[in-house]
Amino acid sequence: MKSPAIALAVVLVAGCAAPSGDADSDQIVLSDGYVLGGYNPVNGYAETGVSPIYDGLYRPVATTDTALPDLAPALASEPPQPAGPNTWRLPLRSGVTFSDGSALDSADVVATYQAVRDPAVASEIATSVAPILRVRADGPDAVTVELNTAADPRPYLLLGILPSEKVEAGPAADWAVNTAPVGTGPYRLESLRPDQAVMVAREDYWGEPAQIKRVVYTYTPDDNARAQAMVAGTADGTSLPPRLIDSVERDGIRTVGVESADWRGVALPAGDPFTADPQARLAMNIGVDREALVRDVLVGYGRVASTPVAAVYGDAYDPDAQYRYDLERARTLLDAAGWRAGADQIREKGGARATFELLYNAQDTLRRDISVAFAAAMKPLGIDIRPRGTSWDEIDTRFADAAVLLGGGSTPYSIDSQVHDTLHTRVPDSSPYSNPGNFTAPGLDELLERASASPSGTAKDELYRRVQAVYAAEPSHVFLVFLDHAYGYRDLGWQQSAPILEPHAHGVGWGPWWNLAAWKR
Amino acid sequence: MDAVRLLGIRAAVAIPLTVAISAAMFWVASLSPFDPLAAYLGSNYQFATESQRAAMRAAYETDMPWWRAWWQWMGGLAHGDLGWSSTQSQPVATVLTERMPFTLLLSGAALLTAAAVAVVAGCIAGMRSGGVIDRVCTGVAVVFAAVPPFVVSLALVLVVAVGLRWLPASGAVAPGADYTVAGVLRHAILPWVALTVSQIPWLLLTTRTAVVASTQSDAVRGARARGVHGWALLRGHVAPVSVLPTLALLGTRLPELIAGAAIVETVFGWPGMAAVLVESAAALDFPLLAALTVGAALAVLAGSALSDAAAVAIDPRVRIAA
Amino acid sequence: MRWPWIVLAVIGLAAVGIPLVAGEQVADFSVALRPPGVGHLAGTDHSGYDLLVRTAEGLRVSLLIAVVCAVVATVLGLAIGVAAALLGGWVDAVVMRLVDGFNALPHLVVGIVIAAMWRGEPLAIIASIALTHWPAVARVVRAELLAVADAGWIQTARLAGASRWFIARGHLLPAVTGQALVAMVMLLPHAVWHESTLSFLGVGLSPDRASLGTLLSEARGDVLSGAWWTLVVPAAALIVTALAFAAVGTLVRERHRPPVGQVW
Repeated sequence: MKSPAIALAVVLVAGCAAPSGDADSDQIVLSDGYVLGGYNPVNGYAETGVSPIYDGLYRPVATTDTALPDLAPALASEPPQPAGPNTWRLPLRSGVTFSDGSALDSADVVATYQAVRDPAVASEIATSVAPILRVRADGPDAVTVELNTAADPRPYLLLGILPSEKVEAGPAADWAVNTAPVGTGPYRLESLRPDQAVMVAREDYWGEPAQIKRVVYTYTPDDNARAQAMVAGTADGTSLPPRLIDSVERDGIRTVGVESADWRGVALPAGDPFTADPQARLAMNIGVDREALVRDVLVGYGRVASTPVAAVYGDAYDPDAQYRYDLERARTLLDAAGWRAGADQIREKGGARATFELLYNAQDTLRRDISVAFAAAMKPLGIDIRPRGTSWDEIDTRFADAAVLLGGGSTPYSIDSQVHDTLHTRVPDSSPYSNPGNFTAPGLDELLERASASPSGTAKDELYRRVQAVYAAEPSHVFLVFLDHAYGYRDLGWQQSAPILEPHAHGVGWGPWWNLAAWKR
Repeated sequence: MDAVRLLGIRAAVAIPLTVAISAAMFWVASLSPFDPLAAYLGSNYQFATESQRAAMRAAYETDMPWWRAWWQWMGGLAHGDLGWSSTQSQPVATVLTERMPFTLLLSGAALLTAAAVAVVAGCIAGMRSGGVIDRVCTGVAVVFAAVPPFVVSLALVLVVAVGLRWLPASGAVAPGADYTVAGVLRHAILPWVALTVSQIPWLLLTTRTAVVASTQSDAVRGARARGVHGWALLRGHVAPVSVLPTLALLGTRLPELIAGAAIVETVFGWPGMAAVLVESAAALDFPLLAALTVGAALAVLAGSALSDAAAVAIDPRVRIAA
Repeated sequence: MRWPWIVLAVIGLAAVGIPLVAGEQVADFSVALRPPGVGHLAGTDHSGYDLLVRTAEGLRVSLLIAVVCAVVATVLGLAIGVAAALLGGWVDAVVMRLVDGFNALPHLVVGIVIAAMWRGEPLAIIASIALTHWPAVARVVRAELLAVADAGWIQTARLAGASRWFIARGHLLPAVTGQALVAMVMLLPHAVWHESTLSFLGVGLSPDRASLGTLLSEARGDVLSGAWWTLVVPAAALIVTALAFAAVGTLVRERHRPPVGQVW
C-alpha cells in the first residue's frame, strides 16, 4: 500500500495511466457509507457471524429474508451437544488455518470469548455475550460453554474467532487486528487505506474457495455520492437510504429492500405524569398511523411494528397484538382517563400537561424524520411533542423527563436477545438504553424471564405470544416501524445468494453481498 | 525597519504565541460538556453499560485534566510524535502527510488562479473606472463577496454534476480506482472553481481601488501628460504602485483561504486536511484537532509575516512596526 | 430613501410577517419535496413544510443571531478598546498582543472549534463569532480614541478649563460611538455568513430551530434528488440579506467618516 502522496509523484513522472476498477470479471466494487477498518471481532465487527474475513463457531444460513435464518456449524463441526444443565460441548472443525498460517484450536476460541468479557478490553459488545458464563477448552479440538439459560446457545456463538496470539490486553479499539485482521474466513485483507479496502480470496480456506477473487470496498460517506457512483458505473453495489434508492434504478441496475428486525420506536420519559398513565401510553400507540409512516417517511421500505417481535419469528409472533390505527378511540381513551383539552388544545389533568421533548441522535436523518412525523401524528390528539436533535451523552442524562427515539435489533437471531432487555424493567448494570422509561405491564417481567430461560419449542413460542398480549394491553414504549434496508446492485452475471434477515448493522457487508464467497457463475 | 528584521521578530513571537494557542485549545475543549466517549463509540454508546463505560474511560484516560493532556501532547511533540487520531484511526502524522498534498494542490491552484484573474480584471476595471467593464466587475465581485463558499459549491454540484453530469462531484478519484494524474485533475476541477470564485472578490476590489487611487496620483497624471498610455502606463507606472503591494497582501488572505478550503473540501469530499477539521472538532479528537489548529495558526502567522515583509521590501513608503 | 434600507425593511418584514400570517407549521411527509406550484409558492421541503414559510422562519433566526452577535462583539470591542486607549501603558500593550493573537487564528477555524464543542447551542455560536470579531472593533475604537484625544481642539478645551468628564462626554464619546456603530453594522454580513456556514457544516444550530444555514445543509441531500428549489430559495434569501447588510454598512460608514483621516 503506497502513500497517495508518493503515488502521485511517481505518476506525475511516469505519465498518465488508465484508472482501474472497471469490469474485471473476478472483481466486485462495493461503495460503503461506513468507515473502513475496525476489523476487530472482539469489538463488534461482524458480531452476528457475517463477514468475509472471519468465521464464528456458527453462522446464519438462509435462502430468504422472511424467516429467521438457521444457525449452521462453521468453525464448530456439529450442532451443540448437551453436556449438563445449561452446558454444551462444541467439537471444532479440524484442518482450519488462519490467514497467517497458524492452525485453529480451542485456545483461540477461549481467548476470543474471554477477551470480550474482560473489562480492561472495554469491548462494545460485552452485553451481547452476557448469557455466556464460561467458555472452557475440552482438549485442543473442542470447547464447552455454560450459559445462564436453557435456550439454544447458538445465537451467542456467532462471534468471529481470533488467533489467541492476536488477543491483546488493552482496549479493543486499539488492537492491531483493527487494521491487520487475521481470521479463518474465505477472504483476507490485502490493503487498507482510509477510502478503500481490498480483500482477496484465500486459497487455503477450509471450505470451497470463493469464485469472486477480489472485493474492493470504498468509503464514501455521502449518500448522494454513492448513488452517483452506482449510476456512473464506478461501483457495482451500495446501500442507500430509501429516498435515494429509486433514483438509481435503470437498465442494468436493480434495487432490493431487505427485511430486518431493525426497529425504531419511542421510549417515553420515566418521570412524566402524562406518560406514567398507562391509558395515555395506550392512546399514543393507537393514535399513530404506522402505515402512513412506512409509506411517507420510509417510502415503503419498512413494515409496521407494534412490539419488538417481528413476523419473522414465526409462531412466536402474535398478529392479534398489533395495533390498528384508530384516532377516535385514542381520543376517547384520553378523555375517559381524565386528560381534557386545555385552552391551547393541549390536554391536561390535575395541573399536568401532555407535553414533553423527543430527543434523537442529530447525525441520523432517518431518526429525525421519524421523530418529526411522530410529533405531527400526536398533534391531533392534543399531545405536544417537541423533537430535538442532540447527542448520545446528553440523551443519557435526560431519561427522566424526555422521550428518546431508539433503535434496536442488533442481535435478532435469538428472540430472547431481541425482546428481553428491551421490555424488561431495568436491572443494575444493564445498558442505559434498555427500557429507559422503566415501564412495564403486570406480570410482564416474570413472563419474560420464563420465556428466555426456556428451551426452544412450542412452549417458548406460547410464552412469547403471551408476552406480546400482556404488553399490548399496557405498552411501555411506542414501537413504530421495522426498517427494510435498501440496496442497489449491478447485474454482473453472477448467481447471487439471496439476502437474509438483517440486524441493526447494515452497509455493504449485508444485502446481496452477505455471502460473497458463495456466489457462482 | 527592513524586511529581514521584521521576519525575524515575527518568527520569534510566533513560537510562544502558538504554544499559548495550543494550550488555550486544550482548555476550551475541557470546558465542553460533551463526553469524548460518545464520539469514540458512536452508536454503540447506547449499548454499553455503566460499568463498561467506566472501564472504557479508564482505558482511554478521558478524565485527565486539560493541562496534563496538553503537557503530554507537548511532550509527544518534542519527540516528533503527534499522537493518534481517534476519528481517522491512524497516527496524526500519517493523516497530515496523506492529506497535505491534496490541500496544497487545491488551495495553491485556487489562490494563484484567483490572484491572476483578480489582478487582470482589477487593472482593467481600475484603468477604465466608471466604464462598463468596471461596473460589471465591481458588481459581480460585490455580489460574490456576500455569497458564502458553500452556496457556490452547492450550486456547482447542482448544475454541473447533477444537471449536466459533466464532472464528478465528490472525492479525488473514482471509488475503487488508484490515484492517477488525470483522475485527480478531473475531480479537482469543480472544487478548484468553487475555491477560486470565493477568493476573487476581495482581491479584485482591492486591486481596483489601488489602481484607481494610483491613476489619480500626480505621478501617473504626469506620465499621461507626457504621452505614456495603455500598456506602457500600466506596466511602468500604475502596476508597481498598486499591483505589487496588493500581491504582497496575498499572505493576509490565508485565513479566508483556509476557511474556504474547509468548506469546499467538505462539500466535495476532497481528501484534504481542512475536511477533517470539522470532524475532529465535533468528535473531540484532541491530537488531530491540536495539530490542525496549531498548523493553521502557524500558516496564518507565516502568511501575514511574509506579506508584511514583502510590502516593506517593495514599497519604501510603507512603515510597519513589527 | 436609499434602496438598501428599503430592501432591509422588506427582509425584516418578511422574516417576521410571513411566519405570523402562516401560523404554526405541521410536518406532513406525504407532501414532501413538491416543486413550486399552486398552494406552495416555493414548493415544499424534506419534511413537507412549505418552503416559503420555512425560509422566512430561517431568515428570522439568522437575523436574530446575526444582530445579537454583532451587538455582543461591538460591546466587547468597545469596552476593551476604550480601556486600552484610556488606561494606556501595559494594559494597552497586553490588549494589542491579544488582538494580534486572535488575529492569528482563522475565524472559521475558531468558530468551528468552539461551536463544535457545544454543538448546537446558540450561545456557543454567538460566543464564537463575538470572540473572533471583537479585535476589529477594539482596534478601530482605540485608534479613533487615540487620534481624537490628541487632536488640537481637545488640547484647547483642556486649556480653557474643561473637565475630563466634559471632554469625554462631549467629544470622545460621540466619536467613539459613531465608529462603534459603523463597526456593528459592518459586522452584520460577517455574522450572517459565519452562522450559516457553521450551521451548514453541522456544528451550528440544530435542524429543529431552522436557520438559513441548516436549510441549506438539508438542501445538500435533497438537491441531488432533483429538488433544486430547496437550494435556490434559502440561498437567494441569504445572498440578498448579506448584500443588503453590506450596502447599509457602506452607507453608514460614509455618514460617519471620521474627521481625522481614514482609519478603515
